[in-house]
Amino acid sequence: MLGSKTLSAQSSAWMRVALWAGVVALGVGIVFIAQTQPALLEKFPETWNLGLRQPINDFQSWVIGHRSSHPVFAFFFDPLSDLIDFGLRRVEDFLLITPWYLVVLAFGLVGYWLAGWRLTLLAVGGLLFCGLVGLWEESMQTLALMSVSVFISLLIGIPLGIIASRSAAFEAALRPLLDGMQTMPAFVYLIPVLLFFGVARVPSVVATVIYALPPAIRLTTLGIRQVILSAIEAARSFGSTPRQMLLKVELPLALPSIMTGVNQTIMMALGIVVIAALIGAGGLGREVTISLQRLKVGDAFEAGMAIVLLAIILDRLSDALSKYDFTGVGRRQRVLAGVLAALQLPAKGLAWLVCRIAPLAGRRANYETVYESLAQNLFLINSVLIVAALWLADALAFHSGGFPSALNIRLDIPADAVVRWMRDNLYEIGGSPFGTGPLSDFITLQMMNPLRDLLVKTLPWATVILWVAALAFTASGWRLALAAAVGFFTIGLLGMWEAGMDTLSQCIIAIFFTIIIAVPVGVLTSRNDAAQMVLRPLLDTLQTIPPFVYLVPVIMLFNIGRVPGLIAAVLYALPPGIKLVDLGIRQVPVETVEAATAFGSTGWQTLFNVQLPLALPSILVGINQMIMMVLSMVIIAGMVGGAGLGLEAVTGLARSDTGRGIEAGLAIVALAIVIDRITQAWTTEK
Amino acid sequence: MTPAPASIPSAPEISCRDVWKVFGKNPLSIIQSIRPEQTRAQILETTGHVVGVRGVSFDVYKGQTFVVMGLSGSGKSTLVRSVSRLADATSGQIIIGGQDVMKMDDRQLLELRRHKVSMVFQNFGLFPHRRVIDNVAYGLEVQGVEKKARYERAEKMIELVGLSGWARHYPKQLSGGMQQRVGLARALAVDPQILLFDEPFSALDPLIRREMQDELIRLQTVMHKTIVFITHDFVEALRLGDRIAIMKDGEFVQVGTPEELVLNPQTDYVSAFTKDAPRAKVLTVRAAMKPIPSGAPIPSNHHIVHPDMKLEEVMPFVAATDTPIPVLDDASAALGFIDRTSVMQALVA
Repeated sequence: MLGSKTLSAQSSAWMRVALWAGVVALGVGIVFIAQTQPALLEKFPETWNLGLRQPINDFQSWVIGHRSSHPVFAFFFDPLSDLIDFGLRRVEDFLLITPWYLVVLAFGLVGYWLAGWRLTLLAVGGLLFCGLVGLWEESMQTLALMSVSVFISLLIGIPLGIIASRSAAFEAALRPLLDGMQTMPAFVYLIPVLLFFGVARVPSVVATVIYALPPAIRLTTLGIRQVILSAIEAARSFGSTPRQMLLKVELPLALPSIMTGVNQTIMMALGIVVIAALIGAGGLGREVTISLQRLKVGDAFEAGMAIVLLAIILDRLSDALSKYDFTGVGRRQRVLAGVLAALQLPAKGLAWLVCRIAPLAGRRANYETVYESLAQNLFLINSVLIVAALWLADALAFHSGGFPSALNIRLDIPADAVVRWMRDNLYEIGGSPFGTGPLSDFITLQMMNPLRDLLVKTLPWATVILWVAALAFTASGWRLALAAAVGFFTIGLLGMWEAGMDTLSQCIIAIFFTIIIAVPVGVLTSRNDAAQMVLRPLLDTLQTIPPFVYLVPVIMLFNIGRVPGLIAAVLYALPPGIKLVDLGIRQVPVETVEAATAFGSTGWQTLFNVQLPLALPSILVGINQMIMMVLSMVIIAGMVGGAGLGLEAVTGLARSDTGRGIEAGLAIVALAIVIDRITQAWTTEK
Repeated sequence: MTPAPASIPSAPEISCRDVWKVFGKNPLSIIQSIRPEQTRAQILETTGHVVGVRGVSFDVYKGQTFVVMGLSGSGKSTLVRSVSRLADATSGQIIIGGQDVMKMDDRQLLELRRHKVSMVFQNFGLFPHRRVIDNVAYGLEVQGVEKKARYERAEKMIELVGLSGWARHYPKQLSGGMQQRVGLARALAVDPQILLFDEPFSALDPLIRREMQDELIRLQTVMHKTIVFITHDFVEALRLGDRIAIMKDGEFVQVGTPEELVLNPQTDYVSAFTKDAPRAKVLTVRAAMKPIPSGAPIPSNHHIVHPDMKLEEVMPFVAATDTPIPVLDDASAALGFIDRTSVMQALVA
């Protein structure tokens, strides 16, 4: 043992020496090439381009040409999209036919069932808001789109997750695909999806499913893998078949994790609502995009807030579901005895009914057992019965459907006023050299341009790749170094080197700003509960509000260009960063802090000598998250004038040049994966 | 517990021959090359293989409790798991009911686990998402027993282990001792011939552990199951075992009745455990008995003792009398005598 250990230590030391020698040799080589053949290094050689663009565009033309004739469409894609469309319409109709107050009531009751009256208040208040700002119909459409997409995601994701938990090979094959799905900007596959699923709203469902699928798969796999070993062993010892094991032990015990997957799937789906609207999804997303096109910031704000509230409601509901104790232990039973007896009546009636009907289906049913199982869910049964009864009454007497337009509040007017005031007063404050306009110029000219020029013009591409590889090597080892080099090289091969380096420079600046804001703010909230109380809802909103909503005012204040994209990226990445810094410091064991205090540390000494070092792993995870969030905003940056890969992808879409869009998308994926793996290696190393 | 009636020469219920478990890349070939004098550490050093169980053989007869006692890492858990193939042994024979468990296919293995062998686990291994009754009925459920029948049986078992009224609760609502009663009821529900216990009481605090041991002794007087019981607690082994195997580094160091081990520890390792043993509870009159000198009359005393009585039982009246007490067997033949001195000598030796 000891011998082999020293041997491996020696060999890795040799490996290190050899590697550094190689790096130096390559560096010398680059200098040599630069002197002899400067043309090769000045730009990434165009002759090396993989040439993906033409075949993809040819394929696109072929699809358009054969859309109506080829059997693949007639017998696969068309029926599939018809089916999805059918389902979506039914759900939408159902939500819109249902009287609005019953939808609100149903959400309120589910909220109470899962977590108590606070959740009821949130659900009722949030849905009422959607109605009051005149967006009831749009909200229900979005809800329908979400439900169908999430349903399909789970239908595909849970079985795949189960298979992945069984077969390491399958999981290994799936993993890069999932990574790609999560980092590939949804924009890039919008056009292909449109091509294959031509009907109006179906492409947005498919795009949403693609986007929301990974967490459903991952958390199912994780949940099954995490099932306590002793339960598995006990089940084996009693002679369970693999099927019995899965259905009776593994899946029930993996349920909380699967429910967390449902929660994340819902949140992902909501995150894409606005983008889905670009390819025909109606609802709130469309409201946002249309309002922005007409520069009606107030309207977009209302729709954006509706999305935020829907997201918060669905997040809290599904979160409560994932934590819900189905065993019923410690469930609140605070109802008065008499009321409880009355509440049992419907369940009793239902049990009686089941016992009457069951023999007709050739099954025996025992009243006591049926009632007993029903009685565990008294609240749910009564809720369903009450809603059903009210619905019947409404259908017979009132025929109310959508939200009454008489009840209306207008938030767009004050919102527009605020934006106008900001534009008039903040752009240049009193003619001074301060204000958002000059600030924007400063960031562009003094920070972003120099860094971009350094990466695109000054440094030869080979040097950049070498640096990235060296960075990866110090973070992890030669495997990662190789992978990073290949990743960056691929960006060049895709013909996206300059755009990629431009994007990289913007991301570096965005990450810089995010970190210098997130770390101090996270430290502040971790030490000050009041600050956390104030910031928490703000951060939640920032995390769920579609960036489109605040982009227009940002553009008004900072001009078209690189800065609005930067601000969107920073705003988007701040919440998880702040939360993880805060969490990391709060998770430092109390005893450790007490020990530091007992030795007479001041507050600052405790912070810098104990809390921050111990919180470092969590902070590093936060930085990794921030980087990934920044990268996911590359497309948005492209839409508001920040050049780079985002612009390439957007123009690809706009000009129906799918090949170009996909090249840019793949380059973004390559960039994201390389940066993610390097920062992840850091977080696990230290 | 009840000693095995040595007079019945029936076939053993479990019979293990030369069972090996080796962890590593090439376990089978390693077994051939191991020399008896090599220690486990040496084998690891030279071959990179870890020997979990090293050529263990033992028989357990019907109604007997066989205790395997060893410290952590001694291989006892691996051994008991290989009996129902929760862990696959590398080589050897494990015969249950005339069939070699090692050669069973999946179908036969399911049958074995469903009907013949049940196990009770150290951390209880309960299903947290199932109520007590559904935990207990699990074995019957996977056999495909109809709901009504399996609930009836489960209720009976729950009553047997003293948990009446708790059937509709969930495991986490129960204390540790109660949870292990559920584990016991679950194992008994399928009416197996063989019960395997893997340190079932180790996670319990001392008083509850005592209580559970008493419970098991009580149950065994009515059930007469064949039991393999794993423990690291020597006192527990003495209380429960008809025979005890002391295991170290994957091997049985010594196998015998509690009395044999206490009276005659064969290695320092064994005597390290036996020296603090509660001898009065383990040793029988036989161990303190002296022969009656030839020609001398049988001592007369108003007490007489049986050779199989525990010293603990006879101590009160031995202490109270100055004269020797005769030891008479079932046929009232005098085997010898005991007195205060001989009992004291047996207790301190």
